[in-house]
Amino acid sequence: MKAYIAKRLAWTFFATWVTLTITFILMDLSPISASGAEFVDQQVQAGMDADEARELYEEQLGYGDTMWDRYVNFMVGLATLDWGLSTTYNQPVVDVIANSWIYSFQYVFPATVISVVLGFAIGLYSATHQYTREDYAATLFAFTGISLPNFWFAIMLILIFGVYLGWFPIFYSTEHGLLSLENAHQLVLPVVVLSTSAIASEMRYARAESLEYVHAEFVKTARAKGLSEGQVTVRHIFRPAMVPLITILVGDILGLLFAGGYVIEVIFQIPGLGLVSYEAIIQQDMPLVLATVLVPVFIAIIGNLIQDLCYTILDPRIDFGDR
Amino acid sequence: MSTDTDSKHADVTFEDIDWEEYDGAREFTPLMLAKILVLGGITLAWVLDWQFGSHRDPLFTVDPAGILEIAPNPGNVEWLFTLTIAVLFFYVVVPLYLNPRMTRHYWREFKKNKAAVVSLVFLGFIFLLAVFGPFIFGRPEIDITNAYQPPVFAGGTWAHPFGTMQSGEDVFQIVIIGARVSMMVGLIGCLMIIVLASAVGTTAAYFGGMVDEVLMRFVDIMLTFPTFFLILYVVFLYGGDLFTIILILGLTTWTATSRLVRSEALQRNEEQYIDAAKNVGAGERWIITRHLVPNVSNTIITAATLVIPSLILYEAVLAFLGFGDPNVWSWGRAISVGRSDLQNAWWIATMPGVFLFLTVLAFNFLGDALRDALDPRHE
Repeated sequence: MKAYIAKRLAWTFFATWVTLTITFILMDLSPISASGAEFVDQQVQAGMDADEARELYEEQLGYGDTMWDRYVNFMVGLATLDWGLSTTYNQPVVDVIANSWIYSFQYVFPATVISVVLGFAIGLYSATHQYTREDYAATLFAFTGISLPNFWFAIMLILIFGVYLGWFPIFYSTEHGLLSLENAHQLVLPVVVLSTSAIASEMRYARAESLEYVHAEFVKTARAKGLSEGQVTVRHIFRPAMVPLITILVGDILGLLFAGGYVIEVIFQIPGLGLVSYEAIIQQDMPLVLATVLVPVFIAIIGNLIQDLCYTILDPRIDFGDR
Repeated sequence: MSTDTDSKHADVTFEDIDWEEYDGAREFTPLMLAKILVLGGITLAWVLDWQFGSHRDPLFTVDPAGILEIAPNPGNVEWLFTLTIAVLFFYVVVPLYLNPRMTRHYWREFKKNKAAVVSLVFLGFIFLLAVFGPFIFGRPEIDITNAYQPPVFAGGTWAHPFGTMQSGEDVFQIVIIGARVSMMVGLIGCLMIIVLASAVGTTAAYFGGMVDEVLMRFVDIMLTFPTFFLILYVVFLYGGDLFTIILILGLTTWTATSRLVRSEALQRNEEQYIDAAKNVGAGERWIITRHLVPNVSNTIITAATLVIPSLILYEAVLAFLGFGDPNVWSWGRAISVGRSDLQNAWWIATMPGVFLFLTVLAFNFLGDALRDALDPRHE
């Protein structure tokens, strides 16, 4: 077990290194790279003083004359949390991220909880009531949910509930306190949009996984010895099905929520990480773009690590031989 | 091929068959000739156009009666789309036609799923609209005098069945052009994924060892990178026109499929027919192309079909955010324009969105049914 954890940690470090290297190479080969004279030229053309531009250049992540210099600088900068200076906000990138993450978290967290609980519940119900009318309805909902374009769904909700009915505000406003009732009220639509697709995809996985155990021998045995339907469902179907579901939770759902959150923040003007990243791309603010891309990457890497460790606890049969 | 053929045993071994010769001789049928001519012809025309053609002006314009307007302006995407349709014809339609028994079997299986049959009809309609629509109904043009016409079912006229935009572009024409863009993204991307995933997946499975380890670890790392942010990042760095965006989408989404192909190919690799082929001296290329790839093709096709909806959605999101091709009317871009007119012109954002939603839904139903019909080992 210890050897497994050590191996897994070593792999995480290696994977992080490879990911960052790929990120760097992609950036360095691109036309928008932060390499030397071109960068200064660009800034001067944009109306900046030459000395100032040079100063800004040396604050950038990964500056240097040769590719190797830039690479070393990039890696050291990332490791020491010196992620460069954002030109749009005129403050260090790390501070911008620190100020904005809470706005993303405040609606992504409730959406995650809602989608996990509802998704698993509907999936489990669907599997234990296979081929009933409710099952077909749930499957139809799942297909609709995964096919609905997030951004279009959000706009339609704004059109109906914001413009015509006037129940919810059209844009997010930062005037209300984070924990106030007004804030919760204006977050209803974003949470609904974000959780719809997440519920749909979790429900599909939960249904498929649970179905594998609905007709298993040990479930028949459990029924034969007189367990109630509820006990059978929770202890003999849901528990074994949960192990593979954890994988989906981290991999797919995290990606779904982050990608969904991005457009939702742009549409509702919520000043979270997604909107910051969007504005950084529009303003060609390289260090900020890089940071807002790397934050989800780091979360995904850590999430994968936690998921693999959880696996060994949830399913003691897992073979430690590989990886 | 490197079989030991001593001169004294030369007439008693049956191992000195030159498989490469068989490989070469096999393919010279009229069908193969047609395949090579068409695919090679399109590629050659593409290269010639890329080298010598002017991409700005249409090659020729015909406007006989005002109804039919042909003004082809083939950029890289159009050529690639033509090539994709030709590949689709030769590797899907022709084999289905040549093996009627197999086709009937698949159709029986597929027919059980009513939603999928409806989806297939709908997608066929969208496909025809995408390929021929722009030439029949024309492309959207700015016409300030026609701003904000409502659609026909909300008090508008048949001149603009889905209404018009702020600067007077016809929403119906935009929907048609958008269908073309979405089909291009979905089909070209799907073809790229099929080629990349089957090449990497079967190679890893067949060679095993270090090759497998390196390839699959690379795939692991790529899979950890959240796809949406990878696409966003690369589009920010290199993006621009539709061609680049399609290439980026293809190059960033093949990894999950290749993993699936590898695990399937690993199972096939243990089958006896592979051993038999090895024993009679077949080469590696022969085994991979003639035994491994055909036997995992069902997995590849279903997996790639299930990727199409997400490819279409990624392109739509990029276009919606304004990172797409500014010269192309994609459904996402139309929704983005309509977003600022929600108060007074609801149809601009609604109509393209309905088509986007239905197309993605239909592809999801179709992929699901294909998996049930083609992939009996699934579940």
